[in-house]
Amino acid sequence: MTPECERVLDCLDGPLPPDLASHAAGCADCRALLEGFHVLAPPAALPPPVPINEAKLEQTRRQSLTELAAHPLPTPWWKEVAVLLAAYLGVGAVGLFVVGRHGMMLNSASPWVVALVALLIIVGVGGGAMVALAPRQRTWPFTLVAVGALVVALAQLSGRSGVQVRPFLAGTLGCMGAEVALSVVPLSLALVLLCRSAFQPVRALAAGLSSAGVSLLVLHVHCPDGSAGHLMLGHVLPWFVLAGVAVFIRSRLPSRTYAP
Amino acid sequence: MERFCQGDAQAFDALFQRYARPVQGYLARLTGSPATAEDLAQLTFLSLVRARGRYQAGARVRPWLYAIATNAARDHARRHRRPEDLTPEGELPLTAVADTPEPRDAGLERAVQRALAQLPEGQRLPILMHRFEGMGFAEIAESLGLTESAVKVRAHRGYARLRELLAPLQQETSR
Repeated sequence: MTPECERVLDCLDGPLPPDLASHAAGCADCRALLEGFHVLAPPAALPPPVPINEAKLEQTRRQSLTELAAHPLPTPWWKEVAVLLAAYLGVGAVGLFVVGRHGMMLNSASPWVVALVALLIIVGVGGGAMVALAPRQRTWPFTLVAVGALVVALAQLSGRSGVQVRPFLAGTLGCMGAEVALSVVPLSLALVLLCRSAFQPVRALAAGLSSAGVSLLVLHVHCPDGSAGHLMLGHVLPWFVLAGVAVFIRSRLPSRTYAP
Repeated sequence: MERFCQGDAQAFDALFQRYARPVQGYLARLTGSPATAEDLAQLTFLSLVRARGRYQAGARVRPWLYAIATNAARDHARRHRRPEDLTPEGELPLTAVADTPEPRDAGLERAVQRALAQLPEGQRLPILMHRFEGMGFAEIAESLGLTESAVKVRAHRGYARLRELLAPLQQETSR
């Protein structure tokens, strides 16, 4: 579409200026556009006026006013993000305390690497909560969320200690279970808050990654096993699965509002 | 809108008087069913009240309201899509349904509805908003969460496709 075609599109409602008219006469795309537009134009081609059920309309008005009277002050969206982040913090602290009864920070990789990966996960968790709940005019691109998740996953794998402390299966299943258990509360809260806006798979995915990221962080600092296989199956895989579960559950939950 | 966000019922009434009918008309065109449109309009205005904490100060009201209405219609379509609702070809039925009153030129009306229904959603929504709701491309872009140029490309393609679909009809009427 050339800039002239774009100008033709902008001038559809009225007569075209001479320069655009001559462009449109020689441009197949614009001719198709104009014909398509004008084919809807004859009054007989327009859909009939929609019959308005005044009683139903009044019922809608009354219901909305009742809702407005019941909640005269709106809840700003950032409060919901703050509640979710506070819940993440609480669950993360309790989780670290519970799983770390016999030592909280058992990841034997270099402390700098552990801190850097932990920071990356924290940024991912916070960013995910924002993507999930903050209103935005444009839909977040799926690739942005996917690339963010992959970066966190790769950082965790590349910052591994390589140490294998527990038997592979027992260690992996233990971490999987802990990750799922620690994700129940954040994931549930995130889903409740997600239902306060229209369903968007990208938002649900971000919410899932963000809420399951809390347990990923706890395991990252606490888990003594640092083999690639263990991290893949015990930490990263459940994280992705939980994010998928979040999308699945959200798609089946009713929306309280359809706001973007 | 700012006063409505602070809970002012009169401000809501003003918004309702201004937008309730156009929104219901848009939903009726989108779903093809006035009855469904009534229910969705109700959900749209309830959403407007409940989600006003998500409204960004200074943003235009109409695109936000139409975004809510579009989301409500999408959710309705997603939840009520049953195998028995599909055509023998496995497609969604045309949006014109039995509870739409017959217009004067029912054949022409059906052909236009059928052509609109054949467009993919990405082209149909910009055309409905542009042609029938009189919205500008910037407003449509805001409403659909797209860039203005993306909306223009979709509308351009949609109108061109409509012309193809309605070409036989045009030939008939020009005879």
